[in-house]
Amino acid sequence: MTPDSQPVTITGIGSVSPYGPLAGLISKLSLEPTTITAWTTTGQRRAFLVPPFRPAAVVPGVKTRRLDRLSAWALVASSLAIKDAGIDLTQLDRSRIAVVFATAFGCIELTEAFYLSAAANGWNGTDPITFPETLASAPASHVSMFHGLRGPNITVSNKYFAGESAIMQAACVIRQAQADLAIVLAGDALARSLYAWYEQAELLSTACYNSNPVEAGGFIPSEGVAALVMESSARVKDRPEARTYARITSGRWAAGGHPAEIIRQMLCGSRPRLAICSGNGEPCAVSPTASFVREIAGDDCVITPPQAFAGGLAGNGALFHLILALGNLAGIPRLHEQALLLGTARDNGFAAILLELP
Amino acid sequence: VLSAEYVDDRSGSVVEFHRKSPFLALLTDPHKTIVVTGIGVVSPYGIGLDCLQAGMLAGKCCLERTTNVVYPGFDGSVAQVRGLPLLSENSGVRVSRTDQLAVMAVQDAMASSGCDSSTFRESGIVMASTLGGLTEIDTGIAEDPAAWYRRPGGLLRAASYPFAHVADAVGEHFGMHGPRCAISVACASGAMAIAIAANMLLEGSAPIILAGGSDPLCPFTLSGFNSLQALDPNPCCPFDQNRKGVNLGEGSAVLILETLAGATARNANILAVLRGWAMNNDAFHPTAPQKDGSGLADCVRLSMQMAAVRGDEIGYVNAHGTGTPLNDTAEANAYETAFRGRNRPIPVSSTKSYFGHCLGAAGALEAAVTIMAIRSGALIPTLRLTNPIESLGIDWLRGEVKRQPLPLAMSASSGFGGSNTVLIFGGGPS
Repeated sequence: MTPDSQPVTITGIGSVSPYGPLAGLISKLSLEPTTITAWTTTGQRRAFLVPPFRPAAVVPGVKTRRLDRLSAWALVASSLAIKDAGIDLTQLDRSRIAVVFATAFGCIELTEAFYLSAAANGWNGTDPITFPETLASAPASHVSMFHGLRGPNITVSNKYFAGESAIMQAACVIRQAQADLAIVLAGDALARSLYAWYEQAELLSTACYNSNPVEAGGFIPSEGVAALVMESSARVKDRPEARTYARITSGRWAAGGHPAEIIRQMLCGSRPRLAICSGNGEPCAVSPTASFVREIAGDDCVITPPQAFAGGLAGNGALFHLILALGNLAGIPRLHEQALLLGTARDNGFAAILLELP
Repeated sequence: VLSAEYVDDRSGSVVEFHRKSPFLALLTDPHKTIVVTGIGVVSPYGIGLDCLQAGMLAGKCCLERTTNVVYPGFDGSVAQVRGLPLLSENSGVRVSRTDQLAVMAVQDAMASSGCDSSTFRESGIVMASTLGGLTEIDTGIAEDPAAWYRRPGGLLRAASYPFAHVADAVGEHFGMHGPRCAISVACASGAMAIAIAANMLLEGSAPIILAGGSDPLCPFTLSGFNSLQALDPNPCCPFDQNRKGVNLGEGSAVLILETLAGATARNANILAVLRGWAMNNDAFHPTAPQKDGSGLADCVRLSMQMAAVRGDEIGYVNAHGTGTPLNDTAEANAYETAFRGRNRPIPVSSTKSYFGHCLGAAGALEAAVTIMAIRSGALIPTLRLTNPIESLGIDWLRGEVKRQPLPLAMSASSGFGGSNTVLIFGGGPS
């Protein structure tokens, strides 16, 4: 995404999160972790969990019985985002609609189930229905199949910036005339083996074990899928009823080097007045990002800190950070025509997306 | 090429599209022309494109019928990479077999470009894999995860599980600072990584991007394909009427991609031009392609539209050609449709008959084979193709290697979930 490239507009939002399935921005902030009951634990274990719901009750006709929860949530979140965008897919050329999905762990629950079938029956006795549903790209494929979307279908990942990467790849296929519209999704589901890994690696907050307030030094794992509808800004002009949540004007990400220099180059002299921190789940995410914002945007830049549950999404939280930040701007003075969605990592890695807010 | 007309088969009309094509700049602007300046390959033939080329030109098949390889009780044909050099592991970083294959392929790509890793300090990486670090994990992780992690090295082994880890392993090994992106779209992954990298170069995301795929043999996938009854126990025979299924292989391939302007400025050796690319989805079924191949046919047409070439100008298609009954029928139908109107049948072969289906690496390995065909003028035939699918529009390459000048060639990939990616390569500028 170069500074002179055509902007792309976010016109629809949907999500399945610990707040449940929702269309549009999320303006709630208060959220308590809930106790894990999906598998047996020794003592109480807590996380930000998606409350059980019936997908067909939210999206009539959707069939999810054999799918990983991640695929089911992707179907629901994409449907809510499309509805929120006010788009009638039957009126569009669906070969021009892309799906870009970001995930760190993919369909980890059915991967566990496949391993269990191998443990029980041997490798020659595994379950043929489960196998294709273990693919990391299965959720994106189901979104294409359910909505009949025949444009590019891409599943991406990045250790720290998978969500940001998905936004930038989607903007890219639109600007490169490979699609007119993109459904962008990012998320993960929490599974037993993943939670145990966090626990054994001693990454978890004490709030995972008791109901005391969250302390620094650990994080609370979470789960969910967020979806955005992104369209070329030129297309949105022809659709006066379209809602504009934000316009994406440019973006950069790298694994190291000189991030401040690269971001300043991207900003072309402008100074965003709002920075939305897309923390990556690491305990140290907040302060390095904040000091980095100060370095490139000055002291008067309002910083929206990483959102608690989105920070537990291991690199996939960017869409949720954005949805939560935009949903909770009420108390912040409207000085922020430009906003920076910014994630940082150790070793100078970063992802920065410049947004114009309506 | 610039006066090419695009034949729209669906309407039967011929449209002058290039004047209004958004892709015109790709043909005329050196900042928008994507070139290949290095190719790295780790295949069952060994390390290097020369090794692969010598083996394939000699008609050597790497598929072997084995028992109890990969997992106890397995009986079938696979193609293995033997003697893979072990990487010295950085402290605290676990390197899976997927990572190792990728790192060796990148090292080979850098060597083929005549540059060391310092040239690629600011480069990006787009690496595809369907497995990531699944090779490091066994059933114990699902049975009792906490106990599994407490095993020596358990936590580090699990850390290599996400498919994003392959790009990180490469980046860390070579000290690359550019953007890192991991792609996983089943069997189209390797080709899509190249398409995504090309998109990123057009956006100016990095001056150079190394793109490709890596996947090893692993009980998880071998068992999965076995459960679907998709494996041929004997070496596969793609596009044959008596084909019985796919064989799995392992490997990695990486292309060094940059703009023509960038390559020229640093005096790089240009091996090929990536003339066009397209990605789409069948939106049809989790594991089966549409029988009429319409999704792949559309993808082929989109790639030709981007490259501003007619079907007549494509000299060879390196097909996905898995050897499964469903894939090969759909694929033959796709080429019949997409190349309708050619004045001679389109030459097609599947090189999976030599080294099996390398899953996330397949599209990248086959891109390397396609470039090899362009540079050598040698069209590699499908092995064991005795009774091809009946198709008037397709020249099934079989028997001897066919030698002819090859200005443009295509590599097609498809995967579970309906993803298709098509790449069109041409020779480097004279």
